[in-house]
Amino acid sequence: MADKTCNITFGGTGGQGILKAAEICGWAAMYAGYHVKKSEVHGMAQRGGSVESHVRFGKKVFSPIVQQGGADLLVCFHPEEHDRLKAFLKPDGRDLVEYLEKAKAAVENPRHLNVFLMGVLSAYLPIKPDFWLQAIESVFKKKYVEENKGVFLKGREMGQL
Amino acid sequence: MSKNETSKKALLSGDEALAFGAYEAGLKVACAYPGTPSTEILETLATFPELDVQWSVNEKVAYEVALGAAISGVRSLFACKHVGLNVAMDPLMTSSYTGILAGFVVVVCDDPGMHSSQNEQDTRWVSIYAKLPMLEPASPREAKEYVKQAFEISEKFDTPVILRMTTRVAHTKENVMLGDRVVPQQPPFERNIAKYVMVPGNAYGRHIFVEQRLKKLKVLSEKTKLNKIEPGDKKIGFITSGVSYQYLKEIYPDASYLKLGMTYPFCDDKIRAFAKTVKKLYVIEELDPFLEEHVKALSLKCHAKDPSFRIGELLPELVPAVVKGEVKQEKIVAKRKPRLCPECPHWATFATLKKLDFYVAGDIGCYTLACLPPTSALHSCLCMGAGVTFNEGWRKGAPDKKIVGVVGDSTFVHSGITGLINAAYNKAKGVIFILDNSTTAMTGGQHHPATGLTIRNEPTKKLILEDICRACGVDNVDCIDPKNRAEFDALVEKRINENALSVIISRHPCKLLAQ
Repeated sequence: MADKTCNITFGGTGGQGILKAAEICGWAAMYAGYHVKKSEVHGMAQRGGSVESHVRFGKKVFSPIVQQGGADLLVCFHPEEHDRLKAFLKPDGRDLVEYLEKAKAAVENPRHLNVFLMGVLSAYLPIKPDFWLQAIESVFKKKYVEENKGVFLKGREMGQL
Repeated sequence: MSKNETSKKALLSGDEALAFGAYEAGLKVACAYPGTPSTEILETLATFPELDVQWSVNEKVAYEVALGAAISGVRSLFACKHVGLNVAMDPLMTSSYTGILAGFVVVVCDDPGMHSSQNEQDTRWVSIYAKLPMLEPASPREAKEYVKQAFEISEKFDTPVILRMTTRVAHTKENVMLGDRVVPQQPPFERNIAKYVMVPGNAYGRHIFVEQRLKKLKVLSEKTKLNKIEPGDKKIGFITSGVSYQYLKEIYPDASYLKLGMTYPFCDDKIRAFAKTVKKLYVIEELDPFLEEHVKALSLKCHAKDPSFRIGELLPELVPAVVKGEVKQEKIVAKRKPRLCPECPHWATFATLKKLDFYVAGDIGCYTLACLPPTSALHSCLCMGAGVTFNEGWRKGAPDKKIVGVVGDSTFVHSGITGLINAAYNKAKGVIFILDNSTTAMTGGQHHPATGLTIRNEPTKKLILEDICRACGVDNVDCIDPKNRAEFDALVEKRINENALSVIISRHPCKLLAQ
């Protein structure tokens, strides 16, 4: 288990499934035995406006939000939001925006983009695939679990290349 | 870990964790009107079949039903957002006098930074004003734990207990352990005129009780582990509460802390004792100088934030500047603005209102977004119900202007009906549009009396908007789909030119409902 807290910022626009994506990541980190805090904003912000969520996990986490310049990883869902979001990234942080276009091309259903990107993200985190699959079981209704597991594993393959 | 342990773990938001904590504490009744960031408390409680949970018409009603339940002998809870508490202030103030029988917890979620609110009022002042104890969890785990303690305090001291969270606690998720439900023995419901009939003579006696109760609560505040000294580096000591504590711990892990979980009544002795142990004392809090003013009133020398930081959230990246006492540098970040969904029926209604160049008295809901370009056709947003009453008020000073009011279906039931009766009674004219998308859309699609379904989707008596408008004394009541553009335009033009009080129910279901 990593000693340092891992900080991930997720961002894009309302309706892209960003909160769901961060939710999967949060459950996976929890199943992996970490202390997790995840923050999100609901309400008016979801009406097509900017949406942001932060997941932090480690031995003991205090703040629920990643501070600017503090993210180890940035998962950006919308190119127009990237300029604003990259302020969260550490100088040596990993920007997964490079996967965005490839991921869009790889998913058959645009609604799967969020889970696909979680697959990509999983390749960069110290959380075993089993915990991610367990997380998918926890956050999706039963009938959507299998298709989402499939999407996730394809995303993971892309992240591991 | 074993399978059994896994099933007892969950990643829960502050709202959800609080609901689980209340459930485990033997809660029986919960009432609320939806409001971000408090909505998920009731939504979570509604998943437990043994609880009596309702969306109430508005917060005043919710407060009274829940308080009544507590006085009848079952643990109960009221939840709202900060501005919702304003609507419930009337019963709240006197409930401080009546006290309770079984535990009663008042959950209020403030919204610093106004992620989805019309102001950023700081509810902590209400605890002083109403002379009620207040707990402030700083995380979902604490929300779950504190609500249990709140029920205990409520019953021990015969008082409603305010449990205040902010958006960053209510909407943070954390791994939480779930426990078993324990229902306390129900005390017998009895008539007690001196306690529950607040006529002047009885209220005088209860005010004496309230002042004595405050003294006892102060003793608790000194003793309780909710107010905790965490000794560290003696050079710097922070007095703090809520999410501010979390931000500080991240940046100053070695400092000394007095973390306040029970923020009212103040633990003066503990504050003084802590102040003595540190060289430099800081009071760091979000929004108003609630703790700061009190610490200063104790004649303690302390450093606090510049008043410019009373505005907006105290984000982690701002904390160093706050601690240094710097002035806030306002930065405009180009965030994408929210807008109405592509097929939202409000687009159609507002296309007409814009074309006819009306002065539009607005209200609280998704349609408030019609103030933004390219529509820019909504000209006020104050509080729930003011779309109806501003139509009447504006006409006093601007009788020659084309004025209309708009209000959502849920908002109309919440606070619009009284304004409509007032308009009819006082001979006001004009057109009120009820933007009926058949849900409480902005908060995520909750039911209300005019949808005919309960919080658990069970059929119930349905409020017919047309009937109630007529009963209020409105001259003309029309119901029309705004997506029938030509027909809608013609009706609006006809009604606006009549010397009458009219309601046009602009009815088309929210697109999100279909999903």
